[in-house]
Amino acid sequence: MHGVKRTRQTADDIAAKKRREQSKIEEYLALTRDVLSRKKASDWSEDAFNLTTKLLQVNPEFYTVWNYRRNILLRGLFPQRTPEDVNNLLSEDLAMTMTALKAHPKVYWIWNHRRWCLENIPNGPGSQEDGDVAGWKKKCWDRELFVVEKMLDADPRNFHAWNYRRYVLAGMPVPRPETSELAYTKRKIEANFSNFSAWHQRSKVLTSLWSSDKLDKAKSREVEFELIRNAMYTDPDDQSVWMYHRWLIGSGDDQMLLEREISVIQELLDEQPDSKWCMESIVHYKLILIRNHSRSVDVGKLTGDCSTLLSQLQRLDPSRRRRYEEIAKNIDVGPR
Amino acid sequence: MSSKLLIPLHVSYIQKLGESKDDLAYHLTSHLRLNAIYWGLTALCVMGHQEALDREEMIEFVMSCWDDEAGGFGAHPEHDAHLLSTLSAIQILIMQDALDRVDVPRVVSFILSLQQPSGVFAGDSFGEFDTRFLYCAVSALSLLGRLDELDKEKTVGYIERCRNFDGGFGNVVGAESHSGQAFVCVAALAILDRLDVVDTDTLCWWLSERQLPNGGLNGRPEKLEDVCYSFWVLSALSILNKVEWIDANKLSSFILSAQDLETGGIADRPGDMVDVFHTIFGVAGLSILGYPGLVDLDPVYCMPAAVIEAKGLRKGWKALERRPADS
Repeated sequence: MHGVKRTRQTADDIAAKKRREQSKIEEYLALTRDVLSRKKASDWSEDAFNLTTKLLQVNPEFYTVWNYRRNILLRGLFPQRTPEDVNNLLSEDLAMTMTALKAHPKVYWIWNHRRWCLENIPNGPGSQEDGDVAGWKKKCWDRELFVVEKMLDADPRNFHAWNYRRYVLAGMPVPRPETSELAYTKRKIEANFSNFSAWHQRSKVLTSLWSSDKLDKAKSREVEFELIRNAMYTDPDDQSVWMYHRWLIGSGDDQMLLEREISVIQELLDEQPDSKWCMESIVHYKLILIRNHSRSVDVGKLTGDCSTLLSQLQRLDPSRRRRYEEIAKNIDVGPR
Repeated sequence: MSSKLLIPLHVSYIQKLGESKDDLAYHLTSHLRLNAIYWGLTALCVMGHQEALDREEMIEFVMSCWDDEAGGFGAHPEHDAHLLSTLSAIQILIMQDALDRVDVPRVVSFILSLQQPSGVFAGDSFGEFDTRFLYCAVSALSLLGRLDELDKEKTVGYIERCRNFDGGFGNVVGAESHSGQAFVCVAALAILDRLDVVDTDTLCWWLSERQLPNGGLNGRPEKLEDVCYSFWVLSALSILNKVEWIDANKLSSFILSAQDLETGGIADRPGDMVDVFHTIFGVAGLSILGYPGLVDLDPVYCMPAAVIEAKGLRKGWKALERRPADS
């Protein structure tokens, strides 16, 4: 049970609660027995379908009943319906799971059922000839994007919702330009710099845009450095920002870029002399300089800087002391 | 708050779990029953009290969850077979030395049938897929001694594509890194002898940054701590031999502070309701941290280390040395 506060109950309280629950338990177990025995008997009727609705409303994690519900649709209901009715049935299921998700935004089975519904939306209402063959699909998938934005407004870190967002974006009958996802993640990041889920998504979108040459990498990376600099100065203790910065630097082939970013961070460290993340990042980037550019940097000085910072980090962040010690030890041994 | 693990109290808490049939929550969690038995039994084994639950009764219950149509185990009698519950069933039967009850060839073909062309596994016939299920498949096949039937390249390939720039892994390709996925992906790679896929320095940096000032671990950057991550993070760190990169004392204190001193059991964080899921992962974390008096836990399989060693499946993980009882 995540985040449910412990309450102390007297023996009388517990007994009273159990009495109150007794009839609910009986009702729930009777419904469960009814549904599972119909399942066993391959009952693909509308009655059975309605019973699964009732049961899933009480317990949306009952995966066996979700499976049964899909089998009823596939084997019992779809074959007898027109495509329009199938579309309506699935739209109703999407509405039902929306209600369930509002109450249980982190239940895998509900998100899973939504995916299944989306994938089974039939062609129509038009035909291949009149060009409206994907009308229902388009409407549904567009609505999903709206739905998932609502879910991410409620909890901007819900990873189910982010996964679903990526799934919808990748599967839309009419894809949206990838650049629109940059605007979306920027909005999420600006609302809260700590939203690492949004930074993560941004890193994926940029990687894809850069590799397909839809965006000039050098130019767009400068825009990102600008964005991240604001975030660094706003909250230098926020690790999301520093992780993203590390991603932007990448393998560190560009010496000038590394040196420029080290001096930017050094400036911030001068202002915030206890900033763990400034020190940690400077060490990381200076070690990259030593590793990748040993011929054109002052290795002795960089090594000395790193050792000093690592000793400071051991005092400042004792929980991770052993990690800093290990890095320091490896510098002494020299590059591996 | 207690500075000690209240073993007798937790044992009795686990014993009583099966007696709450007059509690609605008990029935609403039937879809997790087999998993819950695995969690309870493993916690008991780690605390040295395997005998606290009746062996015969447990084996009979596991066998009653067999789904003969699919050839796997459901979470409860008459529930559909699923990889999550199939792994739990196999783990329980191995801990109870009763694997001979299983129709191994059928289970193996059920598991293998769930692998997708991408290399990931679906949880069941309806196809939700996730690296969690990939781990379940790899772990189960290994425990059954049938890993040679798996397409290893394809499986490792999927895990590799789930790796992110922070060194962590997501539950599907493109997903954000999560501590739970650090466990499933690193442990699966350990079983497949492919830890070369892990960027150890980067991942262990990311994992060590999961520790918060109160000692607890979180699952992702800038999120709250939770006892269950004690195991997810520590298992990956111990497989990669980096448990020392976090503060063991602070984490032990955090786990102990989440115990319920009256009813037994461990919660997600201090003051919350306890459950068997957080109880096992709290106890498992303490075992890896060398807490006195506990039995060694294998972090790859999340089962008693002796059981895994006896099967010849031990990998090169390293936990902290067990401290003597008076420290």
